[in-house]
Amino acid sequence: MSVSSAPPPAGTLLSRVVGLLIAVLLTAASAGVGVYQNLPAQQVILYSAATLALTAWIWRFYVVQFGVGAGGEQGTGELRRAWRRYRPGILGFLALLAVFVALSLTIDGFFNVWTVISALILLMIIILTMSVGRFMAENRSAFIGLMVLMGLFSVGSMNIEGFASATNIKSMLLFASFLGLASIGQTLVALLGGLDLSIPYVIGAANVGLLYLISLGVPPWLTFLLILLAGALIGIINGVLSLRLQGQALIVTLGAGFVVSGGTQIVTSIGSAYSGNVFGTVPEWLTNLSSMAGSTFGLPFPPVIAIWGAAAIVLTIGLRHTVYGRFLYALGVNRTSAERLFISERAYWISAFGLSGFFSAFTGCLLLGWSGGGFIGVGSQYLFMTLAAVVVGGTSLLGGVGGYGFTVIGVLVLQVLTSFLVGIGLKFEWQQFIFGLLILPMVALYARSPHIRTQI
Amino acid sequence: MSAVPAGGRAPAAIAGARSSPHLLMPMTLLFALLIIAVLRSPVLVTNAGLGSAVIVAAPLILATYALMSTVVAGRGTVDLAIGPLISFINVTLIQLVAADVIGSPIIVFVYAVAVGMAYQLLMALIVIFVRVQPIIVSLSGFLALSGINLVILPRPGGVAPDWMASWGAGTSVFSPVMAILALASLAWLLMTRTAFFTHLRLMGSDERAAYTSGIPITLVRIGAHLMAGFFAGLSAICFTALIGSGDPGQGTTYTLLAVTALVLGGASLGGGRASLAGSLIGAVDLYLITYVLSTFSFGGIQSFVTDLCYGAILVASLLLTLTLPVIQRTIGAFSSLLYFVALAIVALGVILYSTWTGDGPAAPGSAAAGFLEIEALRGAASGAERDGRIWAFVGVLLLTLPLIARTLIMGASRRGIGPIVTIVLAGVVLLGVYLATHGVASAPHGFARP
Repeated sequence: MSVSSAPPPAGTLLSRVVGLLIAVLLTAASAGVGVYQNLPAQQVILYSAATLALTAWIWRFYVVQFGVGAGGEQGTGELRRAWRRYRPGILGFLALLAVFVALSLTIDGFFNVWTVISALILLMIIILTMSVGRFMAENRSAFIGLMVLMGLFSVGSMNIEGFASATNIKSMLLFASFLGLASIGQTLVALLGGLDLSIPYVIGAANVGLLYLISLGVPPWLTFLLILLAGALIGIINGVLSLRLQGQALIVTLGAGFVVSGGTQIVTSIGSAYSGNVFGTVPEWLTNLSSMAGSTFGLPFPPVIAIWGAAAIVLTIGLRHTVYGRFLYALGVNRTSAERLFISERAYWISAFGLSGFFSAFTGCLLLGWSGGGFIGVGSQYLFMTLAAVVVGGTSLLGGVGGYGFTVIGVLVLQVLTSFLVGIGLKFEWQQFIFGLLILPMVALYARSPHIRTQI
Repeated sequence: MSAVPAGGRAPAAIAGARSSPHLLMPMTLLFALLIIAVLRSPVLVTNAGLGSAVIVAAPLILATYALMSTVVAGRGTVDLAIGPLISFINVTLIQLVAADVIGSPIIVFVYAVAVGMAYQLLMALIVIFVRVQPIIVSLSGFLALSGINLVILPRPGGVAPDWMASWGAGTSVFSPVMAILALASLAWLLMTRTAFFTHLRLMGSDERAAYTSGIPITLVRIGAHLMAGFFAGLSAICFTALIGSGDPGQGTTYTLLAVTALVLGGASLGGGRASLAGSLIGAVDLYLITYVLSTFSFGGIQSFVTDLCYGAILVASLLLTLTLPVIQRTIGAFSSLLYFVALAIVALGVILYSTWTGDGPAAPGSAAAGFLEIEALRGAASGAERDGRIWAFVGVLLLTLPLIARTLIMGASRRGIGPIVTIVLAGVVLLGVYLATHGVASAPHGFARP
């Protein structure tokens, strides 16, 4: 063993040996699985060679990334130092390996060339995010989100027939735009350190209310505007009510949501034989706005995608470069110093909730165009999904950190993940389960708070 | 029902309202709802009525306790996954019982509590060592558990263990569920006497201060989560007893209800402040709102009106907490314990009034003696004489009220008031026991659950 104070770029001898050992073990395991599954000998050899080469390369890459800049520690022996330096990496790698082998052994037909390549891609992404991500202080969550998005998309398109087809991308974007529009309000409110739980109820109420007013004979465009105004008004009321109860904002908005949803249903079911159900014709332009078959100025995608894109650009840039956006961040970070700058907490709090109500109502109207029938529970899945999108994107729920651009990434990640899980044939409950399990490690990659001893 | 705020030793509680002014709102709401409920439907205060009320409210109360234990620990530890966790224990219990893996009461209890504690321990470890915001951990747990619940039991069904079958009947107040509730409350009250609780509250209000004063914050946080898991396990058992089967879909409902009850009970989501009395009263408030609303009939739009009123009461009662500082300024020392006693006497009067004059709560004309009904008076009193008694009672009540109000406002900060409070409380308790022993003997069983 060579004892040198600065390790060579290719890593120490020990780490190379360990890497080679792991690669050989992995290869042996995969070859064993291949033989066990009675695959043709050529395939087994091909896969084994590929596994060996790729693992060895990744190990080398990995070690180099982590090895640079470290070192300089003396004493206590090579083995111990190497172990201490690479412990999380080695443990994580072994865990992933174990999962992969376990899956290969338990699920029939899991082990094929596409799965191996997908696993390697995922591994590469993890390594990239861990090695490059540490150099990015500000936008790390966006970087990790994008990497995950790319990884998921490439894995999905390799493993699932028609995943990357135009139709599927269009449908993913369509659903993403509903979730994205619903999350606008949640993002703005979260930037101030609040939570808005009234979003699903306002969505449902707007959905039913729009159809109800149309069925009464009010001109659709007027109804649309009225509903949007009503949504904004509800949001403003939410803001006013919760202004002095910011700690309890989530319960205040929840209560307001119940009132809105119950009230709408009472109004729409008076004089109706079908309590709670509203029937009517959805106008042509609204259907075109948000259905799969819709077209934007002749282009073959529904206008709602374009609307979401425009909203995302305006909000992302607006939050960064306008006075409104900067003051919003200022309030989120520190109320006291914002107050010293004469930033009105009341105006910003209320306006953020107002925008939230407005966009919730907008989403509700668009969902009517998509489904063609009013249903009060249409927004119920957005109760925690908007929250999840905000969190996965990297906006802090404590306020002041993040932005709408992050939420867009969060929305896309969630949507592609859903699409992927649906594509491999998982049912709704399994999707939700995996969602839950994945949110935590993703957030843990970039939103860890420092230890208490560093905060004193 | 304990009126002593958690953590306040007797003198402190009597010395003034500063110990917990946050209880005023939930208490007022509690008695307002109780009075309306009793006037609308006196069956609530019969033995069977109270029994079923306990059965229905117990899972929610225990779920609120579970949230309470973690929310005190600070960092905004509101466990959104409490509902799915209860559902998870419920459905796994049902499936394991169906597979004959577990069956005896002790093993079922141990299983439920162990699963609850194991989940909470995991959450605590993640919060401590991964250092992600607790709300994100709980959101993650919410989604994962909701999903896996549907995998374990796709639709409501299954049967609870045999020995649990009679628990959900709710024919008497003194049911096993009541015992669980009482023991859980007692456990918390005992815990508040320990140094652990002091450390917990200090950590919740200022974690850095706690760390610098040498409190083992890791251990304290784990302890808080373990308590939450304990309560969640008990809540799941009560839930199983209530529905008598498995139901994977109640997660969201229970989460929202428990968080609401917690906030209504005056706990601070920021940490450091939560009380057993508050959580209990908050949860009972929510139960009573539903109960009162169910006594009104709106036909086809019943559930919508319920939603509307529920939300409105929620928002209104939270807004009323904004007046607390004003109240405190106007009335220097305001004892919430005495306030409770005064309101309890008023409510007792209303209960007596409604059970006296009513022709039997559930079935008109039957000899249904209420829980708090005086048999002898009932037989003797008739017509004008009965009316006279009522007015006399109201008169006494009106005389008592100013007296209590005066004591309440003027003497709240004086220690000398202690004996009076004790005597009044003891009197109320004795009266209740007396009435109960005379009412239970003749109380008919088998009222339908409200």
